[in-house]
Amino acid sequence: MKKVAWGIFIAALVITLLLIALEQYYVAVSLVVGTVVMRHRELWSLIMRRRLPPVDERVKANTSKALRNGFVYLAGITAFLMLPLGRIFIINLTTQFVLAAMFLSTGLIYLLSYIYYDRAAPKMSQWRLERLRWFLALGGISIGVFIISVFLHNVISGFGGFEEPVFFVIAVILAPLGLAVSLVGTLTLFIIGLAARPPAGEP
Amino acid sequence: MKTRIREYRARHRLTQEKLADMVGVRRETIIYLEQGKYSPSLRLAHGVARALGASLDELFLFDD
Repeated sequence: MKKVAWGIFIAALVITLLLIALEQYYVAVSLVVGTVVMRHRELWSLIMRRRLPPVDERVKANTSKALRNGFVYLAGITAFLMLPLGRIFIINLTTQFVLAAMFLSTGLIYLLSYIYYDRAAPKMSQWRLERLRWFLALGGISIGVFIISVFLHNVISGFGGFEEPVFFVIAVILAPLGLAVSLVGTLTLFIIGLAARPPAGEP
Repeated sequence: MKTRIREYRARHRLTQEKLADMVGVRRETIIYLEQGKYSPSLRLAHGVARALGASLDELFLFDD
């Protein structure tokens, strides 16, 4: 375990120095922050207890699920930015800034996922877990509806020779509204779960 | 699933931290095991049972 932690630390240090030499400062900073975020458990335990935490099966399972979420997010955002629609969002940004933002946000998704699986979900009631899934599904549907609506609006407007109103309203008002509701609902339930009464202490 | 880990741990006068150290897991894992909110692997269940001197049937109760 110690060897793995040191290996990750040294690899991150070497890559960071290389990135600094190549003047890719944003990517270097995001890599450092991402590494700290990914190894937060080990760092926290080393600072507070001066020893590495045990890696039990819950940690392994939660880490796997959080890594999966981070990977799915990274793949999704990469695919989105490769679409003509997605390129509009990065048209005035440098490549290193976009890469840094992608790495940082992936680290954040990993961290939030891990905290959710490790700390929030076990303390949440079945009802709240179902509502959370509902809000997450609403967010996914809103993003999908936004992309499809923009595409259909452009196609219909292009071929019809007029400004198509229905998909425009869906893309500009309804889909962002759905995403906002999803974000607020998800974050609220997440914070409630995290702040719930701590598990029972010693007898 | 319900467990009697808390009861057996109290009999042996073990803290959650001590039991966690004995079976090589974090304290949180013991907490969620006691609350029946985590289904352990057979290896971990066996480790906990051995640490508490009980059988699996005595520690873990399933609703049939």
